[in-house]
Amino acid sequence: MSGHLRLTQQEADPVGAISASPIVAIGATLAFLLAAGLTWSHWGEVGSPLAAVIALVLVAAAGTAASFAASPARAPFTNDRLWLVVMLAVGAAIAEYVSTIGNNRQLYDDFGPAVIGMLILSLAPFCTWVSAALAGVLSAAVLSILVVGASMYTESTAPVAALITLNSASVLAMSAAAAGYSYGIVAETLSWQREANRAALQRDTELRAGIARSVQQSRVSVLGREVLPFLAGVMTADRISVADADRARELAEALRRALRAGIESTWLDDLAANIRMNRGVDTIVDDPTGAAAALTADQRSALTALISWLGDAARSQLITVSFAADADGETHGDITLVAETGTSPPSRRELDRFVAVARAVAFRADASLTRENVTVGLSYDID
Amino acid sequence: MTLGLPGHLARESLSRALANAGHWAAFTCLAIGVVLGAVMATFGQQPGRWVGSLLALVMIALLALVARFPTVTLTVLYLVVGAGVVFTVTVMVMDDGEFPSTNNAVLALPATALLLVGGAGSGSAIGLTWATLGFGLGEAAAFLGVAVAGGVYSPNFAVCFAFAVVVIVRVFDGVTRLSDMRRDTGLHRASQQTRELAIRHDYELRATARLHDTALSHLVAIAAAGSGPVDERLRVGIRQDLGLIVGRDWAIDHALGENSDAGPGVRSAGRPRSFAPAADTPPARNGRQNGWRGRARGGVAPDARAPVEETVPSLAHAFSSAANAGLEVRVTGDFAVLGTLGPRRVAALDAAVAQCLINVARHAGVDQAELALGLGGGEVTVAVMDSGVGFEESEVPPDRIGLRTSIRARIEQEHGTVRLWSTKGIGTTIVLTVPEGGE
Repeated sequence: MSGHLRLTQQEADPVGAISASPIVAIGATLAFLLAAGLTWSHWGEVGSPLAAVIALVLVAAAGTAASFAASPARAPFTNDRLWLVVMLAVGAAIAEYVSTIGNNRQLYDDFGPAVIGMLILSLAPFCTWVSAALAGVLSAAVLSILVVGASMYTESTAPVAALITLNSASVLAMSAAAAGYSYGIVAETLSWQREANRAALQRDTELRAGIARSVQQSRVSVLGREVLPFLAGVMTADRISVADADRARELAEALRRALRAGIESTWLDDLAANIRMNRGVDTIVDDPTGAAAALTADQRSALTALISWLGDAARSQLITVSFAADADGETHGDITLVAETGTSPPSRRELDRFVAVARAVAFRADASLTRENVTVGLSYDID
Repeated sequence: MTLGLPGHLARESLSRALANAGHWAAFTCLAIGVVLGAVMATFGQQPGRWVGSLLALVMIALLALVARFPTVTLTVLYLVVGAGVVFTVTVMVMDDGEFPSTNNAVLALPATALLLVGGAGSGSAIGLTWATLGFGLGEAAAFLGVAVAGGVYSPNFAVCFAFAVVVIVRVFDGVTRLSDMRRDTGLHRASQQTRELAIRHDYELRATARLHDTALSHLVAIAAAGSGPVDERLRVGIRQDLGLIVGRDWAIDHALGENSDAGPGVRSAGRPRSFAPAADTPPARNGRQNGWRGRARGGVAPDARAPVEETVPSLAHAFSSAANAGLEVRVTGDFAVLGTLGPRRVAALDAAVAQCLINVARHAGVDQAELALGLGGGEVTVAVMDSGVGFEESEVPPDRIGLRTSIRARIEQEHGTVRLWSTKGIGTTIVLTVPEGGE
């Protein structure tokens, strides 16, 4: 439950949120068309055209702010962005109220509540269910004050409480939909993650045994298969020959080199070796302190996804991954990934997906794209 | 943690989340209907409006059932009852003549809740089908209500808008899933890959360290000996180590097995004790020839002098290494303190102490070392001391990796610390500390 309170879809399922990001622009457009259409339909009630125009401008500003704030390149979406959008939309509702003040015969054709609700709904993938619900309730509270003012000259004879209740229906219903979506998708994602992690733990023994066996085919094991028969030979021999001594020296040196290489390398070197070998893309890792080993599991996944995606022969010719720490090496580290582009270089939009994923796993991420290079800068805090 | 939702689950999960969104909105519309009826009945002097509240409550109850058990039967029941509610409310509202047409906010409440049914099954097409049915039934019921009660039928703008939103969202959901961005990003494949890479790297390193621990000293000794007869001590050492490795899945960490197989342990109850090199003890040699570490340890233990205690772990490998290297070890402290550690941690400590003792034998120029064990502050401390030649740590050549890997890496992997003091001509003290517990 606490996880549902704190998380947005963008945090729990970053790729899902990236897929959902165009819905914000669609919602913002719909909200603007709705506002323009209703303003046109009740133009006869408009006493102040300037206020009506300001209202429409504010709706457009709220929609634009929402679309910008939710774009993958500006991830993660923060709560203050939601409040900015809601405030602009509430401002539009107030301007609309001012534009029809004294002439507003029907509240039903006012766009304020629907526009606020629509914008909150379209931002559902980017806010927690509590934020969405709270934004709806607070907006409805502000709108209620306007209803009290407007009730004095509406046609309806219904009690003010009934008008307030009816008028808040659209904003409350749509923010409830936003909250319901956010709650539902985060709950689904967390439940899958729990299940996946449990399954992964169960598979762990099997995986480890399989890997342990395959490790025996590796360079070190091959070396072991040379060393052990040699030692067995010496153990059963009467004398050590000069050739034996030389061979022992060679093997000792090879073993030292293997151990040194093993200690200094990390999983990232293995990934680079895989990409180099299987896809023919030169991948260089410059990680003198072995900082890659200190990344969290999610950060490793995000980095692996990015490198694997760039490590396609058509996309890149050469990939360099460099690690650097700050002066004391204790507070944060930086990773710079530079890919020399190949015959079909990645697009900005494609790259932004990975940047958004990186940001979802506690990286500060920036990407730049030129004709020759793709550069992704990742920065992370060291616990 | 596994990041995000996998592609094959995204369809059902998104569909359920969208249905959930619709349900929350529908509950809100109906709850507002209940409140509105109550307000009109109480403040508007229209007691008949309680019926409206009651009908909204019936829809809430049915919708809760659909949300909990999304079956076709319940969905159809909700749509039928909901259409009945829209019809009744239309008759009530239009009969009063309060609204000129069916395009009003009051009728929008039950009609919107009707199209947000969600319904049985998953996927955009099915969701759209149920929404369309709900929308059509709601409008038909309003039309029928007007036919009965009089008034003007006009499509409800708020309901049409809600229907348009549902259509847009469902179509958008279907279209974005077709583009299959999840597969493009490969986040789940990457997650599995990194997990596998990390485990593989860990095993590679362990395998190398194991080979280093067991074989390197022999290779160096052979290289240094040059041509000539094989030294008997070297032969014994090789035999023991090959016994440990050959025929076993040596990349797998046998820490647990080693401890449970350890057999008779060594205990020193707070008083100094000396162990003679095992090479001088014939039974020990026999034990090693079996190639079974547990028995070899039994041989290393000072036979009848040592009290046998099955449950107390020991540093058998360390003593075995010391014995092979011809080093006499004096022990202070109680091995029982090792009982506070998990088997893997004991094994790591054992291997690290073994490397310390090998270093003493190789580099200190003495044939005696002291070992002190203690427990305090939630930590087990083992000190290895010698009165040898000593060294400057900074002067240790970088290719000498025994201290770095076999000692420091092992202990740090168990969240412990290694401290080293060495003075040239005075000797060296290495203090290994590991926290209690561990695997």
